[in-house]
Amino acid sequence: MYDSDVSPEVPHRSLKSLLRRPPIIISLLSITAVLAFLAVTHLVSRFREQEKALARHLYAQGQMDLDSGRPDRAIGYFRAALTYNRGDFQYQLSLARALRDTGRTDESKSYLMNLWERSPEDGAVNLALGRLAVREGRTDEAIHYYHNATYGIWDLDPETHRRNAQFELIDFLSRQNARPQAQAELITLAASLPPEPELETRLAQMFEGLGDYEHALSEYQTVLEHDRQNAVALAGAGEAAFRSHRYGTAEKYLATAVRLDPSNSKTSELLQTARLVLEIDPFVRGVSTSERDQRIKISFDRAGARLRECAEKQGIAGNTTKGSEESADTKSYVVKSASPNDSSSVGLASLLQDWTAMKSKVSRRGAIFESDVAESVMDLVFQIELQTQKGCGDPVGLDQALLLLAQDRNGVDR
Amino acid sequence: MSDLPQADSSRNDAVTFAPSLPSSATSSVARIPRYPWQGTFREDRFFLMLAVFVGLFSGLAVVCFRLAIDWTRIALLGPVLQAHDLRLLVVPTAVSLLVAILVIHVFPQVRGSGVNQTKSALYIFNGYIPFRTAIGKFVTAALAIGAGHSLGPEDPSLQIGASLASALGRRMELSREKLRLLAPVGAAAGLAAAFNAPISAVLFVIEEVIGRWSAGILGSVVLSAVSSVVVVRWFLGSQPLFRIPAITLARPSELIAYALLGLVGGIASVIFAKSIAYFRPRLRALPHWTQYFQPAAAGLIIGMIGYFGAPQVMGAGYEYMDQAMHDQFTWQMLATLAGLKIIATTLSFTSGTPGGMFAPTLFIGAMLGGAVGGLERHFWGAHLTGSTGTYALVGMGVLFAGFLRAPMTSVFMVLEVSGEYSIIVPVIIANTVAYVLSRSLQPVPIFDLLSRQDGLDLPSMEEQREENLLRIEDAMRQLDAPILDSRESVQQANERIQQSASDVFLVRFNPSGWRSVTRELLQTSLDEGKAELTLGSILSAQPLPVLHPDLPLDVALRYVNQTDVVPVVSRADFGKLEGVISSEDVLSRYRR
Repeated sequence: MYDSDVSPEVPHRSLKSLLRRPPIIISLLSITAVLAFLAVTHLVSRFREQEKALARHLYAQGQMDLDSGRPDRAIGYFRAALTYNRGDFQYQLSLARALRDTGRTDESKSYLMNLWERSPEDGAVNLALGRLAVREGRTDEAIHYYHNATYGIWDLDPETHRRNAQFELIDFLSRQNARPQAQAELITLAASLPPEPELETRLAQMFEGLGDYEHALSEYQTVLEHDRQNAVALAGAGEAAFRSHRYGTAEKYLATAVRLDPSNSKTSELLQTARLVLEIDPFVRGVSTSERDQRIKISFDRAGARLRECAEKQGIAGNTTKGSEESADTKSYVVKSASPNDSSSVGLASLLQDWTAMKSKVSRRGAIFESDVAESVMDLVFQIELQTQKGCGDPVGLDQALLLLAQDRNGVDR
Repeated sequence: MSDLPQADSSRNDAVTFAPSLPSSATSSVARIPRYPWQGTFREDRFFLMLAVFVGLFSGLAVVCFRLAIDWTRIALLGPVLQAHDLRLLVVPTAVSLLVAILVIHVFPQVRGSGVNQTKSALYIFNGYIPFRTAIGKFVTAALAIGAGHSLGPEDPSLQIGASLASALGRRMELSREKLRLLAPVGAAAGLAAAFNAPISAVLFVIEEVIGRWSAGILGSVVLSAVSSVVVVRWFLGSQPLFRIPAITLARPSELIAYALLGLVGGIASVIFAKSIAYFRPRLRALPHWTQYFQPAAAGLIIGMIGYFGAPQVMGAGYEYMDQAMHDQFTWQMLATLAGLKIIATTLSFTSGTPGGMFAPTLFIGAMLGGAVGGLERHFWGAHLTGSTGTYALVGMGVLFAGFLRAPMTSVFMVLEVSGEYSIIVPVIIANTVAYVLSRSLQPVPIFDLLSRQDGLDLPSMEEQREENLLRIEDAMRQLDAPILDSRESVQQANERIQQSASDVFLVRFNPSGWRSVTRELLQTSLDEGKAELTLGSILSAQPLPVLHPDLPLDVALRYVNQTDVVPVVSRADFGKLEGVISSEDVLSRYRR
């Protein structure tokens, strides 16, 4: 038996000495640390949630400002949002965009490069860097980043984003007059485009913008396969065919387009011109010999009139000499005054003489042209139209039709 | 290590003495047997383990402290500080009144930054910092900084860490020596957690608090700093505080631009330090009742600065430093903010509001660096490749070196907060210029100045660093008596000393040990008929201590009383006598 005074002391002492043993102390400290860790984890996560909610609110306000064209104010909100959610990718990206929109390109680039280092495959970052490079006129870098954006990773609706990036790149290349590169991008894009009329129409318009009318026509035709009454596609196809000097095809599409949308004046004008071309072309298939000769005579007369008008404007005077009874009056033409268009004037004078010389053959009543004569008459007509365009500007009406035929004699589908 | 004689038995039978640590660093195991770490668990090992726990707890405390500051700021001033908001006037004033009451009545130990308080604990109070100080510092500093006072969380974190460590050490019943050292260990942990920069924290504590490199404590300081940083990174992320692009100096002449920044920064540091030195004692000399209102008045003025267009100077201002690095401000605005921050911080600090000076120093440095960089690029833009961010970051280091006078910490701090090593050369150059200039214009460093104003004579680390240390070679003299050999007979030795006036002679033992023999002992041996015996056989086995010429003179003081003269020998050959030193020699050198 222990003494009553001692007995309570002994367990107390032994407990105290036990608690003072290093392994016990280390264990107690470890447990305390774990508990404290858990408590702080809870505290931090709660606080972080609050901060993130605050950041979302600030970000939304910034986004509203950005959408309303107030990037300066948006920057303040985005910065504040980033204070509460420092590493957020989207906030940084939006801040970089807002900075770019306010012309702070260096700062914007700094943010974007940070993001790019974190995620070089991110489509949105690459697109933003591409736009920044466009703004700063760094073409090679812009193409590089646009390509990255085209083949990069997008969180939402990746196909649309990639396509839009590629459209943007093509647009940029077009503005840079990098036609072959833009065409190559367009052809790649065309191969992967889903069958959506809007996209195909947009693609066709871009081909058209680049002057690639064959591809443009092809894309419009694809649209029309699904929707024959698509006025935009019809007008586009008509214009593409017209620019390709395929006036028959153009007339077909343009006529339908005008029927569907008579208010489209541009289409109407093109249609009118296409029809004039088809009506005046003497070499179009299925035209009888008399009709052909008739067209040649009309073309010759019209060209003569255009030539004289232009010659007068250029100050070219004619000296008439009386010829034989059979032949028409013969004139020699001289350039009265020197002008900046001297070479053009000399050419016009020469053409006038040629025209006058040929007039007797063409004007003969009941003349039937041999094919080589027909060719030489129309050659002169085409020369006159081309030369007068240089000296006196773009013609209208029948002259315009003749000029178009002159520009591409072999391109007309007859 | 110990300061007890260390026998170098592998080389010779003499006992050598290495420069030792102060007694505080010695183990107390043998002296205080009631400590539980006897036996298998030595206190040294336990101290190391405890350092890890100090780091963990300090890290957790600092995480909570930073959340408290952020929460207070959002709750009191709103998520975005905007000029012309009335809260900017009301909140700092009202909260400062509350803080003043708490400081005067509940937590009187929490005034100031916390660095000197930790030094006081180390040098005056045997490592004792009341746990109440940690709580008080936490609450009052969070309130003050959150309400917009121009102060930072780093120095309070340092003090909170030190206070936690001290409390833990007392609870563990550590020896007084260990308890004294635990406060700096906690300080390093707190600072490392606040900066998310372990190297800088360790360096700062070594440079400014402990004052010397000591292997005995270095391990613990590093362990605690690293473990606290791990905790902070776990909760708050591991990304560096600031991000700047890597810099490439196009030509070495660009360094002149950074040296110029060092010059401007050095002058700004002196202005900042002199402002605090001028206002602090004057404000403290005002009647006691004014101390209730001094923080409030400071808060009101700072609030007015914010209200009328510069809310950036309120609080620690880290987000604005980041903005400065990203070209958000013109150089004129940056210069204005630097000037306003000096005023605001001087007001906050000298009014006795609890909070640190690290963050404001960095803020002023960043703004000044950005301003100087902007101005330089305006004039010599084509020749300079550094961005505003680069100059702002270098500016931070410059103020740190010039104002806080911690040159090594200032370099590593810049590297750690940016994670960018490429900036090191400009930082070293600019910091050196600022440090040298500041030291020549303001001889007393700010922390020493503050402790002297408080009536404390804490050791000045800068003075210690630059102290002209007396060495043994400065006091030793050549031996004017023959050196005897242990193989000589007593008779031979006696004959050789006849011409000498000395009474004590050194005896060289093979291969290199030393003993001493007196004239009297030789005579006695002769009288006893030991004339043919060798000196080695009649002398005791206990060798003399030996010293080396390069050792500090105070080391000699510990041994000169053990014998008449102490041999000073070459480090390369212990048998080669360079001279001797006695207590008279030491004292006469000190008297000079």
